[in-house]
Amino acid sequence: MYPSKKNLSGAYIKKAATVSIVILIIVFLGIFAAFWNIQIVNNEYFRRLAIQNITRSINLTAPRGLIVDSKGVILSENKINFTLYLVRENVVDMEKTMRLASFFAAKKADAIRNIIARYQKYPQFYRIPIKNNLASDTVIFIESRQEEFPEFEIGVEPIRTYPFENCAANVLGYISEITEAELGSKDWKGYGLGDFIGRSSIEKQYESYLQGVKGKQIVIKDNLEKIQKIESKINPVIGATVVLTLDLELQKFIEGLFVNQNGAVGVVDLQTGGILAMVSKPDFNPEIFSQEMEREQWLALSNDPQKPLQNKFLQGIYSPGSVFKIIMALAGLQEKIISPATVVYCSGSQNFYGRVFHCWNPNGHGAMNIFSALQNSCNIFFYNLGKRLDIDTIARYARMMGLGNESGIDMPNESRGLVPSSAWKMQAFKQRWFPGETISVAIGGGSLSATPAQMLKMIATVALRGRMPRLHLMQRIEKAGQTVREFTPEFSRVPIDEQNFQIVIEGLFRVVNNEGTGWAAKIAGLNICGKTGTSQIIAKENPKYKALTQEKRFMPNSWFVSFAPKDNPRLAMVVLVENGGDAGAIAAPLAAQIYKKYFENERLF
Amino acid sequence: MKDYFKYFDKLTFVLLILLSLIGIFLIYSAGFPLKESNYLKQAAWLLFSLVVFFIFFSLKIDFIFRNAFAVYLVLLIILALQIILGRTIVGTKSWFRLGGINVQFSEFVKIPLAIFLAKGMTRFELIDWKAFFNLLLPIAVPVFLIILQPDMGISFILCSFIPIVILLKKIRPVVLIVSILLLLMCGVVGWHSGLNIYQKNRIISFFNPMKYKKSIGYQIIQSKIAIGSGGLSGKGYLKGSQSQYQFLPARHTDFIVSVIGEELGFTNIAILFFIFFVVFYRQFKFNFQNDEEFYFIYLFNGLIFFQFLINVAMAIGFFPVLGVSLPFVSYGGSSLLSFFIGEAIIFRIKINNYLT
Repeated sequence: MYPSKKNLSGAYIKKAATVSIVILIIVFLGIFAAFWNIQIVNNEYFRRLAIQNITRSINLTAPRGLIVDSKGVILSENKINFTLYLVRENVVDMEKTMRLASFFAAKKADAIRNIIARYQKYPQFYRIPIKNNLASDTVIFIESRQEEFPEFEIGVEPIRTYPFENCAANVLGYISEITEAELGSKDWKGYGLGDFIGRSSIEKQYESYLQGVKGKQIVIKDNLEKIQKIESKINPVIGATVVLTLDLELQKFIEGLFVNQNGAVGVVDLQTGGILAMVSKPDFNPEIFSQEMEREQWLALSNDPQKPLQNKFLQGIYSPGSVFKIIMALAGLQEKIISPATVVYCSGSQNFYGRVFHCWNPNGHGAMNIFSALQNSCNIFFYNLGKRLDIDTIARYARMMGLGNESGIDMPNESRGLVPSSAWKMQAFKQRWFPGETISVAIGGGSLSATPAQMLKMIATVALRGRMPRLHLMQRIEKAGQTVREFTPEFSRVPIDEQNFQIVIEGLFRVVNNEGTGWAAKIAGLNICGKTGTSQIIAKENPKYKALTQEKRFMPNSWFVSFAPKDNPRLAMVVLVENGGDAGAIAAPLAAQIYKKYFENERLF
Repeated sequence: MKDYFKYFDKLTFVLLILLSLIGIFLIYSAGFPLKESNYLKQAAWLLFSLVVFFIFFSLKIDFIFRNAFAVYLVLLIILALQIILGRTIVGTKSWFRLGGINVQFSEFVKIPLAIFLAKGMTRFELIDWKAFFNLLLPIAVPVFLIILQPDMGISFILCSFIPIVILLKKIRPVVLIVSILLLLMCGVVGWHSGLNIYQKNRIISFFNPMKYKKSIGYQIIQSKIAIGSGGLSGKGYLKGSQSQYQFLPARHTDFIVSVIGEELGFTNIAILFFIFFVVFYRQFKFNFQNDEEFYFIYLFNGLIFFQFLINVAMAIGFFPVLGVSLPFVSYGGSSLLSFFIGEAIIFRIKINNYLT
């Protein structure tokens, strides 16, 4: 079509060749420089990214340490649990995934969406736990069709169980999943979402020991998240075993004594200060917290007016009632206000500061000395003693004996109770203390309040004639068979003369063994010493409340503090029955059964 | 015959075969994780291409140049038919099944088009308006048809004829400015109407790859990681984690450079580039017999050079991912064949130059 031409000059062709080659050289130098920059200069950076692409670090949950009783019976352990995980990175169709997840987990899609939303900030490859305790047929179904559900993974992890269910629930406590807020704080460094932490009692107190060391698995995955090989694996290490001073058999026995009754019992070994039994009723099954909990289930537990989640031994605060007379007697003797020779006449009532105060026995006890006043729990004797001791002296002795402060037992969230004093009243009510109020406090009434733990510590101190034991639940902590921590008994001296304790103990002996208010606790040969306390919830003297006192919920709380034997005491005990009524009839016989059980086992008699 | 052998550019020929063999070697690695047999197909295509190379080499240049326009028209008709009837493979209708083999006709347009343009260029001293339309139109039609298929890569590569023409010819400044404006306009119009989301995203992601890390910018990042992590000597053949664990997309085609970069390292990629450099050097530095042959060699080699440059720039994130393969190396039989045909013509021109 077009005729061939040869018009281009040699110079033009030469120029074209030269320009082309200059361009070639420049471009190739540029390409070499660019590749040098990426491959040589930034090699390290890209190598890291390439490794990041293929490596996945999988945390392996460590089994939590065991909690065992003093004889080695396992109270809290782990069982195998299958968890359903969702990996967002592998989701193809979110709608389909949600349907499947909802089906596998037997949960509403919204609930699952909520779970996923919590992990928003986590990388896409993070395994989000969707459901604990997956049914085994679901596990098999998913595992056998893993190719079809690349977004789901089944994790085999330990779950916390409590073989004796409700038994000692308030001693052991429970664990639950860590919250996002907690993860933000530095208290929980090293924890990750999906981890479980101790929430109460021993599980909380010894969290740092019980919690094991997480394992880690590094795997090589391809772009489709298929595991190509396992690069390295560090096995998780189980947490340490916490050995308690608790005696499961005794614990179970005491719990069995409470039928349709609420309250608390504490039994302490006076040689060590170790708690042998700590009962709080009602109780709960801590295992329900280890699994996912329905909101309703949680609300029912936390809103229960009987407070099953509260450890009444440590957290329940009650008016000590006549039990407080022990401290009054010690204060009176130590302050030399009274002596064994002091006699007060009880006619059933007496006027103090223009108001009539009654003894519980309207007929009066007649002439009372310190021994008979304790034996009969005579109010008039102690009213007179209270009148002569001022409130601040009473408060000083109450604190000396452990009231108004945490008992110091190795448990979290202990209540302190209240020891009223003039300074306290001024601070709380901007009012001075009226002497009339002292009269009520003298028999353990008024604003005075205490926990069963404080009462146990107090009676233990009396039993030991002024040596105050440090109460504790942990005996030792073992890791791989080695003891890593051990409790050594601690006693502190209370500044009250030993002879004064002897006097009070004589009175307490008579309470049980000489037709006193605690006669029902008497066991031949065991020489139990104790003190009853029937602390009213509402003033029965007030005619308006007269009808109410018949109702169970307004019946007085029954206390019985005791120890045995009188000489060389081995055991101290507090029994509190909420709304039990007359302590001598309710709490004292309960204590007797516990002593019997304990010393039977000990084959002492 | 003896003279033919003497003046045949043996070095360039060997280098072209070497590039193709390197390609097959890399295609094997690229297909290794999924046990693909593309490398066998490519080897078959190479053998076929060599046969066709010598057929074209034996044809008279005059015959080829005379029939170029007819071939050009036939190809345009096939492209138009393809748009109406064509099968869709990976979002484009550019493939045509021919007796069990997929043929990509758009790859062949560059040969008759280069000849047609070379002839056209001899008719004008200066590119004025008339020359402008005479040269632009033959490029614009196939570019338009191939965009419709849609195949961004090939149509973009055909456009590289435009700057080559402008560089080789004197041009009136006003025509230059208008053509640049026109090119920009095409870009804008194309952006808004011609491109599908898939193609747009590739370009968007080029400008902000990190933002689209897990989606569209993914390809660029994975390619850079592959090349960068290869270092000086690479991770070893079949041992690149990016290639073998399938992080690298389109390993056997667009990102074949990344495979060699990762597995064989900078030293070997430098050798590959050096081979290309020698090929280009030998093709550009030559005395030419007549004008249209001169223009053809510059147009065709210029296109190969552009395609090479864009593919390499793409792999290291210097250019949007447009689906441009590496000449002679990437998987693709039609592409390989078309380049060997073009080279056959160039080899023949060079021989003629010595023999006359």
